[in-house]
Amino acid sequence: MKVSTKVVKLLVAAGALAVAGGAAAQSKGQFTVSVGANQLKPNVESGAISAPALPNSFGDVGKDTQPVAVITYGLTDNISVETAVGTPYKHKIYGAGAIAAGGQLGTVEALPAIALLQYRFFKPDARFRPYVGLGITYAMFQKETGSFRMTALTNPGGTPTTFKIDDKWTVSGQIGAQFNVNEKWFLNASYIKTKLRTDVHFSTNQHQHMKLDPDSFILSVGYKF
Amino acid sequence: MRKTSFALALLTAAVLTACGGTDPRPGDQTTKIKFSQQVTFGDSLSDVGTYAVGGIAAMGGGQYTINGDATSVNPELTGKNYTTLLAAQLGLPAPCAAQTGLLGTASTNPALNFSVPVTFQANCFNYAQGGARVTNPVGPGNRALSAANATTAIGLTTVPVVTQIANHLAKAGGKFSGTELVIVTAGGNDVLEQINELKANATTAGGTALITSLVTQLTPGTTNPATAQTAIATAARTAAAQGGDATAIITAAVTAAARAGNTAALANATTIGTTAGAAATAAAQKYAADHSAELVTALGTAGAELAALVKSQILAKGANYVIVNNLPDVSIAPAVLVESADTQKLVATMVSTFNTQLKTGLGEDAKLLYVDLATVSHDQAINPAPYGLTNTKTPACDLSTAKNPLGSSLVCNKNNLVSGDVSHYMFADGVHPTPFEYALIARYILLQMSGKGWI
Repeated sequence: MKVSTKVVKLLVAAGALAVAGGAAAQSKGQFTVSVGANQLKPNVESGAISAPALPNSFGDVGKDTQPVAVITYGLTDNISVETAVGTPYKHKIYGAGAIAAGGQLGTVEALPAIALLQYRFFKPDARFRPYVGLGITYAMFQKETGSFRMTALTNPGGTPTTFKIDDKWTVSGQIGAQFNVNEKWFLNASYIKTKLRTDVHFSTNQHQHMKLDPDSFILSVGYKF
Repeated sequence: MRKTSFALALLTAAVLTACGGTDPRPGDQTTKIKFSQQVTFGDSLSDVGTYAVGGIAAMGGGQYTINGDATSVNPELTGKNYTTLLAAQLGLPAPCAAQTGLLGTASTNPALNFSVPVTFQANCFNYAQGGARVTNPVGPGNRALSAANATTAIGLTTVPVVTQIANHLAKAGGKFSGTELVIVTAGGNDVLEQINELKANATTAGGTALITSLVTQLTPGTTNPATAQTAIATAARTAAAQGGDATAIITAAVTAAARAGNTAALANATTIGTTAGAAATAAAQKYAADHSAELVTALGTAGAELAALVKSQILAKGANYVIVNNLPDVSIAPAVLVESADTQKLVATMVSTFNTQLKTGLGEDAKLLYVDLATVSHDQAINPAPYGLTNTKTPACDLSTAKNPLGSSLVCNKNNLVSGDVSHYMFADGVHPTPFEYALIARYILLQMSGKGWI
């Protein structure tokens, strides 16, 4: 909600800045690259950690923001493909429900690889071009890191507990808008919703189903090649 | 050309994801607060081997659980008490019993030798003893509870918590250093001993009523009622003293009455016996009902006493990290499940009264962590699956005399378990946890310690 407000404000500001200039846009055969930030915010609906555990032992996952480069290529004047590259998102993992008192129990790095097919409205030279996209995402998890407290709550006095989160192929939907400041430079904002269900496997033979369905909020400044 | 660039960009993304060690790792395993030692006061639930000597050790026992590391049989059969698990997690040395020894009967048979000199272990700080009560020195298993001429008495020392704390203070110069983790768990033996005494007294009241009823019914038909009355009563009491059951007592009384000239006695024996039996049951029940309230009051007193001890002898003496486990719900334990519904209800009330007084007496204190084992143990009994418990109602140990001479988990190990997989049972014997349940308790305490900001 807060982020959406920011997006609107930025777009308005950009509009005020843009005084003149025949702006071209994403057109057939054109490459654009925009650089900015992406906030990845999971919407966690946690399953309970399997036995042996206190009933309703849930988990929660924090959000993270990292730099991102969005690369877009125009297949036609209205259809484009897009991907994004960036640094891994470092998410903190917390106990929730019956184990909320456990606090932060671990961290994980998420590396989502995404490929989107987009439809861009209006003509390439329009100043403001909203777009929608649909794509596939490969959600990869790495460097799953436990803690003293994770061990304390799962295997006290024993081998430190580790965990692995399953990597998943999934689908993403996107809405966004590009504001062409001039012929070469533009501002880009997009919101990507990814459907993501995965499973966490602990070294104690326990597991947990997690619905993460992350929201991704991207703000970037781009250049047309 | 442009398409090549796009492919290169994708390739870059792939390379970025692939670099560096990405495997799961344990992370930082150090605790927030580094405790200097673990000091434990309490009863069998925290006892790590007070009685692991003489016959108990010879039988492969010493702790109140499935003894011994039997992880080769099943990973859950660690033989570890929750205090041992806590110490291991907190990076502290394995706890050991501050006092060892038995005050029971001696025997040349090593397995039956329960007379081992009491020894104080200078470098051990787990004072918890099986059978220990809050302030009363006589708990279950104490020598004072067995007959003076008993051939075999186990003679548990049952040093009460009040004395355990005093012993530690004497050893530690009258105060706590402030960096120890202090653990207190008691009250269970106050419940068990009070219930045992109530049952014994109720049985006595029932026995008296049985004999009174028999005498009243059988005397009128005798040739000389005055002498017959005494003869019938004596016969019945003799049978009772010899350990006879109700039937034996009734038979003795009826026989005495017949001998004294009551010709109808034998013919009416069944009716007379039924009437007398009903009178006995009624008297026993009446005794229990009349005295239940006293037990509840006694447990409330014990709870308040424990709270006062924690405050005046532990917190006020400099301890900064004190865990007080409340009394688990004994009413769901196998030993109580075999009792009448009334007794189960009474035990539940005793437990809740103890805990209410304990909690009220302790109040709130930043240095104090009150762990509600009562709620979690009750929940385990009614909702065992999430905890991984497969049985909460019967003991994992085979408590038959042939397999377990003491009928207690104190001498239970992998060699005298009931058949089948008992690794996820809740109880080792009538009241004591299995190693698996101890692990659940350890995790629960650690969770509360985390909430307190101690780990």
